[in-house]
Amino acid sequence: MSRVNLLAAALIGPLLILVVASFVVPLLVTLYTAVGDPEIRESLPRTAAAVDAWDGVGLPPEEAYAAVAAELAAAQEAQAIGALSRRLNFEQPGLRALVLKTSRAKASLAAPYKDALIALDPRWGDPELWQLIRRGAGALTPLYLLRSLDLTLTPAGDVAHAAKDDTIFVSLFQRTFEISVWVTALCVLLGYPVAWTLSTLPQRWANLAMALVLIPFWTSILVRTTAWFILLQREGPVNAFLQATRIVDAPVTMIFTRFAVYVAMVHVLLPFVILPLYSVMKGIDPVYMRAAASLGAPEWKRFLRVYLPLTMPGVAAGAVMVFMLSVGFYVTPALVGGANDQMVSYFIAFFTNDTINWGMAAALATLLLAMTAILVVAARLLVPGFRPGALKL
Amino acid sequence: MQQQRMKTVVMSALVGAALLGSGIAAARDLMIVGFGGPFQDNARKHLFKGFEAATGKKVNDDVYNGEMAKIYAMVKAKDVTWDVIMVEAPELARGCEDGIFEKIDWSVVKKNKFIPNGTSTCGAGAVLWGVTLFYDSTKVKDGPDTYAKLWDLKAYPGKRSFRATPKTTLEIALLADGVPAADVYKVLGTPEGVKRAFAKLDQIKPQIVWWKSGTQPVQLVGSGEVAYAVGFTGRVVRANQDAGSAKYPLLWKTLLWSVDSWAVVKGSPNAAEGMKMIEWITDAKPLTALAEDYAVSPANAEAAANPKLREKNPGMLSPHAAEGLFIDTDFWVANGADLETKFNAWVAQ
Repeated sequence: MSRVNLLAAALIGPLLILVVASFVVPLLVTLYTAVGDPEIRESLPRTAAAVDAWDGVGLPPEEAYAAVAAELAAAQEAQAIGALSRRLNFEQPGLRALVLKTSRAKASLAAPYKDALIALDPRWGDPELWQLIRRGAGALTPLYLLRSLDLTLTPAGDVAHAAKDDTIFVSLFQRTFEISVWVTALCVLLGYPVAWTLSTLPQRWANLAMALVLIPFWTSILVRTTAWFILLQREGPVNAFLQATRIVDAPVTMIFTRFAVYVAMVHVLLPFVILPLYSVMKGIDPVYMRAAASLGAPEWKRFLRVYLPLTMPGVAAGAVMVFMLSVGFYVTPALVGGANDQMVSYFIAFFTNDTINWGMAAALATLLLAMTAILVVAARLLVPGFRPGALKL
Repeated sequence: MQQQRMKTVVMSALVGAALLGSGIAAARDLMIVGFGGPFQDNARKHLFKGFEAATGKKVNDDVYNGEMAKIYAMVKAKDVTWDVIMVEAPELARGCEDGIFEKIDWSVVKKNKFIPNGTSTCGAGAVLWGVTLFYDSTKVKDGPDTYAKLWDLKAYPGKRSFRATPKTTLEIALLADGVPAADVYKVLGTPEGVKRAFAKLDQIKPQIVWWKSGTQPVQLVGSGEVAYAVGFTGRVVRANQDAGSAKYPLLWKTLLWSVDSWAVVKGSPNAAEGMKMIEWITDAKPLTALAEDYAVSPANAEAAANPKLREKNPGMLSPHAAEGLFIDTDFWVANGADLETKFNAWVAQ
């Protein structure tokens, strides 16, 4: 390697390390968490080895029973049984109780363990339970990703639809993308004229107007969302105004509705469309429009054939940014939305914080990432001129 | 390019700050973390500062919402920055099995001073907490005083607010459906009982506003956003004190209660100090001083039985415990995850 190359590498090095450490590694860890299945192997290594050696027909040999009895008791003593019982219970409700019961029964158990365990709880004599453990002893599991799509594994290991009472995630993804698409469309429709006005105003006024866009942009999302909460609540200013002007008789329910989510999200995200659009519009030479006019094009045609295509890179950049941001929105729907207006992030936070099911959190995050990527690529391919890459800042 | 450079500058500043932070953490003060609100303000005054004055060990306190993820992450990363935390009973039991809490050192903490069921392997009882139904009596005359009446949308119109967890909400639904308090967990332990609870909730579902943080119920009722809410009694008592009147009557018949405990986070560099602190802040003397100032029900037997406190403190739960329903820790440890899944699916439908 020449000196120049070395120097270049040294200059890029810190950034590269940063990107790998703060982006690539967490992403890979998330992907692994979504499919990793370490609990049984780590908590019950001997049991895992024993069921691995077993042919999977009928019930496993005495060895597996002896291992599971000893290892469950040891895990209980070492305060390490929680992850295992959660993992098993996640696949089949009720197994948590079985694990705890068995781990506490150590003193009363004696060889032959097969008979002792089946006497303790008949579920230990169920071949399907052992097949479940055998599957779980592998390094990877599709279970979290399947559950995130309202699918599940049958005891025999086939993919099936989840029970109707437990289905939630397909409609959750639909809702997330529906809200995001609408927010994006509204932002573009509202932001386009604003950006155009900004780009045509005399400099003095343009600076002032720009400040009106930028100051909210610099304000924390939490503050802006809370402001909407105050405005839209039942006894808030908006309802007071509507009632004072006799537009409505009783207060309108606006907070905790989809309407409030749209209002707050569009407000929060508007600058992300206005700013790139403004920069693109500023760079368009007015001579193109004059040329079109001199060739006899009426105003609407000048806009449609000349101005709009020229501003498309700005529309694309703004729309993609707004869409990607709204797909991951959490605070705003959580504060002003109702139970039916929560998006995928809400459940990622729920599984991360409340139930400590990081497999589910990672699976939802992975699917969200994949679906968003597919949609953005599809938009680039399908919408003419929709190429944020063409944007020159 | 400009942006890229900005990013690098910001990131290196962050990395620097993190390094600085970990340097400080090596020799840090005792960090105690609770659920915030008026309880913690008073606990800081009587318990945390009291311990500080008695031992000379500096104590800081912080607030969390009961989410366990941060503690799991700390223990896993072996970078424990919280020492003593206040935790609800099912989370305590779950966390103890997971090894994120130290086993309580009963040679330091005296076990016999607690009320029955006030201690467990990893936790020492702090205070009793409860939720009751309440409403704004300046807006609603003669509101519902039982959960059965709360379901009567004709007689009592308006929104209702419940905690966004199956714990407490499902019990309330069964109580409203006429299940006697003594049988609630027997019924809820069966698939039919769970169905019955959700069916009951379905009757008023469009009228429900869910709350997550303990400050919300009083805010929602106070602002008129909802007419009725089930919220923490301590916050309601505090709101009455602030209003200078019994604006929000406490309906003890609708009480659901449990015990919050103190626990020490596994791997805390201050674990030994933490045990000493727990011993100090669960003693009758500081707790009596605290309870004289603020409506709280200590899990210390002597303080809980103190007749003077009972008289003075209208929000004390211990005298009303028999009227209400004890939230069954074992039930929620065993069934929490399944019911949370069902509850979330139901809420989002």
